[in-house]
This record gives sequence, C-alpha cells and structure tokens, in this order.
Amino acid sequence: MTMFMQVFVSGLVIGCVYGLIALGYSLIYKASGMMSFVQGDLLTVGAFLGYTFYGLWKIPVAISFVMVFILMVLLGFGIERGIINRLVKKKTLPIYIVLATIAVSYILQNGAMYIWGSNMLTFPRLFSANSIKIFGVGVQPEALFCIVVSLIAMVILHIFMKYTKYGTAMRAASMDPMAARSCGINVSVSTGLTWGIAAAMASLAGMLIGPVYGVFTTLGATIGRKGFSSAVMGGYGNMYGAIVGGIILGLMETFTSGYISSAYKDLFAYIILLLFLFVKPTGIFNERAIME
Amino acid sequence: MAPLLEVKNFHYYYGNIHVVKDVNLYVNEGEMVTLIGANGAGKTTTLRTISGLTDAAGVRGEITFAGHRIDKMPGNKVAGLGLAQVLEGRHVFSKLTVQENLMVGAYLRKDTAKIKDDLKNIYQQFPRLLERKDQLAGTLSGGEQQMLAIGRALIGRPKMILLDEPSLGLAPIIVREIFESIKEINKQGTTILFVEQNAKVALATAHRGYVFAVGEVVMQDECYKLAENQEVKKAYLGEQ
Ligand SMILES: Nc1ncnc2c1ncn2[C@@H]1O[C@H](COP(=O)(O)OP(=O)(O)OP(=O)(O)O)[C@@H](O)[C@H]1O
Ligand SMILES: [Mg+2]
Repeated sequence: MTMFMQVFVSGLVIGCVYGLIALGYSLIYKASGMMSFVQGDLLTVGAFLGYTFYGLWKIPVAISFVMVFILMVLLGFGIERGIINRLVKKKTLPIYIVLATIAVSYILQNGAMYIWGSNMLTFPRLFSANSIKIFGVGVQPEALFCIVVSLIAMVILHIFMKYTKYGTAMRAASMDPMAARSCGINVSVSTGLTWGIAAAMASLAGMLIGPVYGVFTTLGATIGRKGFSSAVMGGYGNMYGAIVGGIILGLMETFTSGYISSAYKDLFAYIILLLFLFVKPTGIFNERAIME
Repeated sequence: MAPLLEVKNFHYYYGNIHVVKDVNLYVNEGEMVTLIGANGAGKTTTLRTISGLTDAAGVRGEITFAGHRIDKMPGNKVAGLGLAQVLEGRHVFSKLTVQENLMVGAYLRKDTAKIKDDLKNIYQQFPRLLERKDQLAGTLSGGEQQMLAIGRALIGRPKMILLDEPSLGLAPIIVREIFESIKEINKQGTTILFVEQNAKVALATAHRGYVFAVGEVVMQDECYKLAENQEVKKAYLGEQ
C-alpha cells in the first residue's frame, strides 16, 4: 500500500507536468496548425528563471512564479511573432517551420547552458517540512504542490478559454482566422498570445518539477517528447485530452518503473504511443487525425 | 453627400494574376446594392478586399468607408469602423456554440448590457437559432448556419453589411426566408451590399446592381432596369 501510494503520487506529479506541456502543444496546434519543438526547452528556461529569481535573488516564491509566468508569455509571444509568423507570411512550408522550432529549441537549450552552466542546480525547497503524510504515506510537499498547482492552472486555463470573451475570441481565431478578423479580432495578437500561454504553461511545469528533479539544461528535452506523446494519446489538439493523456502516461511510466523495471519505462511509453497512432489516432478525446 | 462606401479604380492581383480590373462602385447610406456575375468574375475578391480580408499587397486603387481610407486597412480595424461581412460559405465557428458565435460577433462592443437585448432581438428574428443556442455551429443545417452568420454580423451593430452569396446551396424556401431578413435589416437602416449568383432574386431584392464579368463591371443600373435588359436576361436570367 505504501509503495502503491508513493508510485501513484509520483505518477501524478510527472503526469501533471506532461499535461501542462501537452496543453501547450494542443494550443499551438489549434492556433497555428503545427507542432512546436520548443515546448520542452521553455520548461527548462522556466525552471532556470525560477531558480534565479527564487533561489539566487531570494524573491518570494509567489512573486517569482508570477514574474517567470509574465516573462515566458512574452518569450512565447516573441517566438511566434518574430520567427514563426514571419515564416508563415513568406509562405514557407509547415515542415520547414517545424524545423525552425527545432532550431529555436537548441538555441534555448545551449543558451541556457551559456547562462546557467552545464551542472545540475538545486532548486531550493519551497516548503520547510520534509514530508507530509497522506493516507499514512509520507510525501514530499513539493510533489503535492506540483499536483495541486498544475490542476489549478488547468482549471483556470479552461475557464479562461471557455467562459471569457478573450478566450472565446482566441478559440474563434484558431478555428477560422478570416471570420475572426471580420468580427474585429486581431488574429496576429491572438495567435502570439496562444504561443505565450503555451510557453507560460511550460515554464510553470518547469518551476514545479524543478524542486523535485533538479534543474539542468536537458530537463525539458525528455519531458517535451513525453508531453507530445501525451497530447497524441489524449487527442492531438484537444485541451482535455492533453491533461488526461499526460496523467495516464505519467502513471503508466511510474507504475512500470515501480513494479517492472525503471529501465523500460520509456519503452512502454513509446510503444503505447505507436499503438495509439495505429489503433486510435484520434486519441481518447477523438480529435481529427486522418486526412480527409 | 458622399457615398458610405466608395471603391475607385480598384484592381486586385494574386501575385501576377490580375483578377480585378479597374472596378468602380459606390453604395449610399441606406441603400441595398447587389453584385451579380459569373463564377470567377472577382466578386468575392472585391468584397473581401473591402473588408480588409485579402492580402493588402495585391490591392491597387482607393476604397473609402464612412470617410476613412480602408484599402490597406487590416480586417479587424475595418470591422471596427462598422463594416461587417457575411462570408461566402458562411464561415461559422464550427466548434463554438450558436450563442458563442453570436458573442464573438459582438467582440468589439463595449456596451455589454445592451448586447443581451440585441441577442434577444436576433433570436426573435431567427427563432431556430434560439432553439439551438447551445448546439455547436458545425452541426447546424446550411440554412441555419447562414442565419447564424447573418446574426453574427448583425450583433456588432454595423453601419453596413456585405453578404457574399447568402443563397449558396440553400433550398428555395430558405432562400426566400434569408432574403426577407436581409430586406428587413435594410429597412431598419443598415446599408447592404450583396453578391448573388441567383440574379433573379438579387434583382428583385436590391435597389441598384452591378454586373461583373471577368474582373470588370460591365453594367450598372437600377435593378428593375437591369432586369429588363436584353443581355442581362440572356446571360443571367436564363431567358431568350
Ligand atoms: N487565393 C487565390 N490565389 C490565386 N487566385 C485566386 C485566389 N482566390 C481567387 N483567385 C482567382 O481570382 C478570380 C476571382 O475569384 P473570386 O473568388 O473573387 O470570384 P467570384 O466572382 O467570387 O466567383 P464565384 O461566383 O465562383 O464565387 C478567380 O479566377 C480565382 O481563380
Ligand atoms: Mg465568390
């Protein structure tokens, strides 16, 4: 029982992180119709920024989170406006734009190494207690914090996209840019903002996972790929699918490592991804996946 | 008084392809004007350029609306001047509900309180939209989507609405219904310019008309006169 709970909690932790990353993939796919390889590295940058503000400069944790969030919205917005949109305007084929995102991914990764070095840094603890007990099992408070904050972020994003005027406008803009423009929506700003929100979600994941995993330049690389798999499993482009897919993948992974062998957790994750592509490409939430 | 909308020496190029050649037209405030003409004549290109929805790089000439030059203005700004368009093929937001679609139409309005009243009026005008207000727009029938597209334009309280082939793919009885609504909207003071393949209905509805052929305006007149013109009869009304 103790082991089960521990495995379950760590599965939720990493699953929520995958979910946050997958949300970004889905938002970007809906807004721009493409895949961005930058998501994982935005997680890394977010973790490093959080480390700098909170760990080095001793800015209170809440303020650090907000600062990182805002900076990352700007970074995501900037990547879309400054690079992606310019290529789109030149009528570059989507595959080359995806390549451009790979370039940006490595630039961020190496840039982070240039600024913060190549050693693993310790993200200082957020809480003083070493562990808190739930159902009689000791759990790191940062782990619980990660789960709770991820879920809150997802709910807030859901409310924003679904029930606010600007969220609805962003959905409209990604569904039909021309019609949205004719309704007075600035589609360029809306698309940029979508990338900004995706970046902020990734950075949030980075700051939440930093205290649990440590901070290093390739932190986001693997998580980014797993987040992508989660998005596919959930139904690529579907926000709810992203979250559900992320949590399922996280649980699957930790249960594989806990009860079978940690050496093969990736094997299972990617076999499942392939299975989904063949058997249910529309994912759990039935997104369109086949060309018409 | 200057016309509400004026298009002068308008040309449009898709890259090197010259698709609209020196079009001149105007619409006075309160008027209802139609553009008719064969497929590929450049009607959609003209309407979309007026609304700022084509690539501005291909635009030549002068377009003014309510005293503003709009020929290179982005579409969201043009909408802000009170010019709405019901697009060819309807373009409803398929995965938003009917009501969400209408609310996006009201995106630029600041008077939140009054939007509710206008929503009610639109539902009154199109009761079928009220029955389906929580349904995804993509699941509506063609006629219902057209009503939604019109409602979405209307709720922004525009000075003028452009409609591109509102009858496209609809049964005759629905076409009649749609055109009754368009007439009613015009009666209530909204200026209208519409493109229509069905020349008979168009000429029976509008006050004035322009006939497009391969990128040019070849005729323009009051609708009742166009309807009696031998060439129009032969080419567009299917009469001998
Ligand atoms: N994006 C585009 N790129 C290149 N050419 C285009 C593009 N859109 C339209 N055209 C061409 O411009 C011409 C005018 O097209 P437009 O859609 O404006 O005609 P239309 O009068 O609305 O026709 P229809 O009655 O079929 O709707 C056509 O020859 C068309 O092939
Ligand atoms: Mg057309």
